[in-house]
Amino acid sequence: MTTFLRKPMLRPAAKPWPRMSVLEQRRTITAYLFLVPAFAFLIVFLFIPLFQVIYYSFTDYDLLTAPTWVGLENYQKLFQDDLFWKSLFHSFIYLAVTPILIVLSITLAIIVNRPLRGVYLFRALYYIPVVISAVAIGMIFNFVFSEPSGLINGALRQTHIIDKPIHFLTDPKYILYSIMSVTVWRGIGYYMVMFLAGLQAIPEELYEAAAIDGANRWQQHLHITVPSLRPVITFVAVISSIAALRAFDEIFILTNGTGGLLDSGLTSIFYLYRQAFRFLNIGYAAAIAVVFTAITMIFSLINLHFLEGKN
Amino acid sequence: MAAQASFRAPSPLRLRLQRWFETTGWYVLLVLFALITALPFFWTGLMSVRQNSSNIFSARKPPELLPYPGMIGWGEGYRVALQQGSYDVPKEEATREQPAGSWHDYAPTWQARLKGTGLEPYTFPATTQNYYKVWRDIPVPRYFANSLLVSICTVALNLITCSLAAYPLAKIRFRGRSVVFSIILSTLVFPPQLLFIPLYVMAIKVFHFDDTFYGLILPFATSAFGIFLLRQIYQGIPDELLEAARLDGASEFGIWWRVLLPLIKPGLATLAIITFVNSWNDFLWPMLMLSDRDKFTLPLGLSYLRGFFSGDLQSVAAGIVIATVPMIIFFLVFQKQFVRGLSGAVKG
Repeated sequence: MTTFLRKPMLRPAAKPWPRMSVLEQRRTITAYLFLVPAFAFLIVFLFIPLFQVIYYSFTDYDLLTAPTWVGLENYQKLFQDDLFWKSLFHSFIYLAVTPILIVLSITLAIIVNRPLRGVYLFRALYYIPVVISAVAIGMIFNFVFSEPSGLINGALRQTHIIDKPIHFLTDPKYILYSIMSVTVWRGIGYYMVMFLAGLQAIPEELYEAAAIDGANRWQQHLHITVPSLRPVITFVAVISSIAALRAFDEIFILTNGTGGLLDSGLTSIFYLYRQAFRFLNIGYAAAIAVVFTAITMIFSLINLHFLEGKN
Repeated sequence: MAAQASFRAPSPLRLRLQRWFETTGWYVLLVLFALITALPFFWTGLMSVRQNSSNIFSARKPPELLPYPGMIGWGEGYRVALQQGSYDVPKEEATREQPAGSWHDYAPTWQARLKGTGLEPYTFPATTQNYYKVWRDIPVPRYFANSLLVSICTVALNLITCSLAAYPLAKIRFRGRSVVFSIILSTLVFPPQLLFIPLYVMAIKVFHFDDTFYGLILPFATSAFGIFLLRQIYQGIPDELLEAARLDGASEFGIWWRVLLPLIKPGLATLAIITFVNSWNDFLWPMLMLSDRDKFTLPLGLSYLRGFFSGDLQSVAAGIVIATVPMIIFFLVFQKQFVRGLSGAVKG
């Protein structure tokens, strides 16, 4: 009886937690049961660590003795740490791989999108670096860059273009750029496939209409291809810049785990690794992690805003 | 004049240039990119069959780029074979002084064949000794098995947890759905390295995961990306199908297992491949977790091999070839799924 009376009065949608029907209840319970396994892992290995890293960043902790609370000391130290700023600067230089990757992989995608004979073979070939571990690629490029007779130095000396080898991995001026070129080499195929998918979604009629209007191929690409690919470009820009900020394996292998001569290949992630797992300054490394993540997130947001805002 | 010129029909030369670019020009670009991609691999391959540390390139003599069969064989006794031309001790007759092995030097016959062809200065004898050395000193098959075990378990757990969690988020209307979904989405912005520090402490202090495969698998047992990807795919399935199954009295679990899973197989394949490649190639986390050399995964094994053979670049190259060729074959077999998976990620 009471339910019959209450129903029309209390049912307005504004009520935050209206009583659920039996069916709805069962459905909700079932839904949460489906979510349990994933959430169990997410809570243990993601949410709890997330709070822990923030907690550690306010402590002094070396894994052996219990963490002691030091307040903002780690952050104060961080802002006066020249090496941290240097690593941050290197991380931002590293971001230059993103525009290079976008331009190269769009170009390549346009080429392999053409109905040329044997183009499938080339597509497959370009993609191969993607499936190979960064460790193996780093080691391969050690051979490519090595002195005095790696692939590049050897070939240049053979053809008498240079007399003295280029110190790709031993001159502090070049190390970072050498490593970045490996990241570019490794990523082109990956992003090419993404752009290819984007290209194949552009209707052919657009190009035909433009051709009738007298646009040459270059103009067609500039006015049809690039604008149509904008969502993919945004996507690639975000994921490739995040990947660039996180690059670790190449740096580790190509600098023999040192971060390069005079820390010339030291990026923030590498500095974090060194502080946490080489020096066991867990608290300080946690502070680096927090600051670096905050910067990364702000950067991604700006990136998104900038790329989407033009639409 | 300028206006007139622009209306003029293209000259034969320009036309020919244009036609050349439409056909040959594209191939020139394709081959150029192909060379940039392939040369480092070829270079590693060449290094892996060199007999000694002499350089392929040299300013004073032509580059030695073409391998011909030299000292070919397997097993011990390579040094003896270098002096005597061949060495052959079967396993049954092997002793401490004369270990098993079989080597034969084909170089003299090939040198005779190449003589006078003009190719001679560009050639060098290839050997299998570096591959044997890697095989003898580094437990490569074991590293493969370890990598395979870790990757397959990670993939299996991901497929189960993600496909379970994505189903209600796409197809069941329940209270708190949007909240749960935004929580999952928000985790995508946190870089994994942020979590490596607390995860490491947790793995070492709480779970005692150091030097176990659990430590490599369980932290990556589910992924927000996977849930997101599969949710997109579930949403493409018409609700009528589920309603029909419900009317037939199927439980939600039954619907998920019998109706939905078969329909999202391509999506599952995508997730499986992305997860597999990530797990297979992972380096930093296994490096932190493992110190027992018998438990190393392939990337760690490669890194260890580099230290082990530090001066012997030819053997390092052989190790790289052994470790990468299976992955290239795996890719060539599942090429379609790889590419579809990535394209799916763009559209999703």
